[in-house]
Amino acid sequence: MNDKSTRRQFLDRTGRIIGFTAIGSAAGLLARRASGNAVYQVDPFKCTSCDLCRTSCVLSLSAVKAVNDFEKCGYCMLCPAYMDVNSRPDEKGIPAGKVCPQDALKRRVVGAVDQDDPNNNYYEYVVDETRCDGCGKCVKACKPPAGNGSLRLEIRYTRCVECNECAIQIACPDRAIVSVPAPGMAPMESPVEGKKS
Amino acid sequence: MDVTEEKTTSGAVWERLRKSWFPPAAVMGAFAAFIAAAFRIRPEPKPPAAPPDPAIEAGPAIDDGMAARRLDRAYALSSVLGGAASAHPFRQSLAGIAVGAGDAVYALGDNEVRVFDAGGNFVRSWKAASNACCIAAAPDGRICLGAAERVEIYDAAGKHVGGFTAGEKDRPADITAIKILGKEILVADASARIIRRYDATGRPLGLIGTENKTGKFILPNKSLDIAVDARGVIRATDTGRHQVTAWALDGTLMGKFGKFGMADPADFVGCCNPVNLAITPDGKVVTAEKMVARVKVYEPDGRLLGLIGPENFDPACIHIHLAVDAGGRILAADPVRREIRIFARVPGAGPAIGMRDSVDRSLVEILRA
Repeated sequence: MNDKSTRRQFLDRTGRIIGFTAIGSAAGLLARRASGNAVYQVDPFKCTSCDLCRTSCVLSLSAVKAVNDFEKCGYCMLCPAYMDVNSRPDEKGIPAGKVCPQDALKRRVVGAVDQDDPNNNYYEYVVDETRCDGCGKCVKACKPPAGNGSLRLEIRYTRCVECNECAIQIACPDRAIVSVPAPGMAPMESPVEGKKS
Repeated sequence: MDVTEEKTTSGAVWERLRKSWFPPAAVMGAFAAFIAAAFRIRPEPKPPAAPPDPAIEAGPAIDDGMAARRLDRAYALSSVLGGAASAHPFRQSLAGIAVGAGDAVYALGDNEVRVFDAGGNFVRSWKAASNACCIAAAPDGRICLGAAERVEIYDAAGKHVGGFTAGEKDRPADITAIKILGKEILVADASARIIRRYDATGRPLGLIGTENKTGKFILPNKSLDIAVDARGVIRATDTGRHQVTAWALDGTLMGKFGKFGMADPADFVGCCNPVNLAITPDGKVVTAEKMVARVKVYEPDGRLLGLIGPENFDPACIHIHLAVDAGGRILAADPVRREIRIFARVPGAGPAIGMRDSVDRSLVEILRA
């Protein structure tokens, strides 16, 4: 047998190497994609705050929470997401009713405080996530033109149990629940005790 | 049991059924059809719908005295500039309007300034900065544009003749309105929440709006609008307080009116209103609101005189840019529909608009939506 390989043998060997390399790379890529974490999140541009996030989540207290973007927030005294502007005003002329049925939106005065005239104050609004059930009433009320649109709904990964098929995604009529890749994010230890029976 | 036997059995059962109850059933069906046709039996009527919730039907709390109240001024739409049907439509934006000498209308939109004569005919246009957001016209023909922290000055022909940067070095202004008062240029700075006075070269002359309890305007919507009347009194929107304030040029607070309220049309609705402002030649104050997109006309002391209802504007408006010409016509620029609607006072009209009909009903519909 001749030690020197023929051209045909060389091409054959080279072709095999290239082929195996390509197949291996593709398999690696697919395996990486399959093992990579994808998480569900609310697309604020599609979300209409329809209340299905509250009712559809498998958890008893939905994993969807309202979040306030302080950069956008106007720190209003008469926040339309906090006060029900349509409710009867109190003796100071400020609406007495609140928008949030869970009383999850809390406010506190920031900066210089004028005790006599609340119109002179700025207020910071923070969502109490232990109470928020993701109904989105505040988000709806904050949308322009009534508000600045600083409130939005978000899925909290500390609560999300990462169902194979997100129940909210199935229910959402606006396709606002999207699956987004989250490389490097480790799966949460799910608080399954809160799961609906 | 073989196949033949099975067929025979089922055939016998069928025959027995046919003979036993088919003929009576057919007779009874025919009789029922005859009765139905004779007496026109109809489906049972549905029970009447539950009466509407009186709280919703009535809308916000309306003072009974308010329903009978009528306004002193009536306005009617007289023409539209820059709409989709016009020869010069605004295709992308409409950011501001001003009325200059000879009632020429200067409109800022689509990254240019368009000039229309008093009859609404297009005269000329010139390029403007892409981030220009407000415009002012002087009686001598000068035009000022506000773009972020810059003030750009043009002559009557649209030639750039100067400009300066407003605000402090470490905190540039966020200009949301400009007005020209004699040789001074007044700049509404929504970032510092004050009005800055400059000469034409950009030399600072003073501040307006610091003489109140907070030393600044309260602007949750990050917008401040100003207007100057014939006497030189400066009016400014204080949206967080739901007020229109009046200032002397030296910064002295001369007066204010307005408060929050969802029921009385004289009040300002929502979180932060009024958003825009103009002054008529006879000193009346014209305001524009968001949430309920409407324009109102007040006496300088705050008495409501007239109202141009939300049916005239896109409900998504967060601004309605205002200007008033020498004849008292109100020019309202709707940035969502990108058109300038011109409203003229109806001559000889009596009491104008019934509150419940044109204001509260619209308000209720908007709140329901």
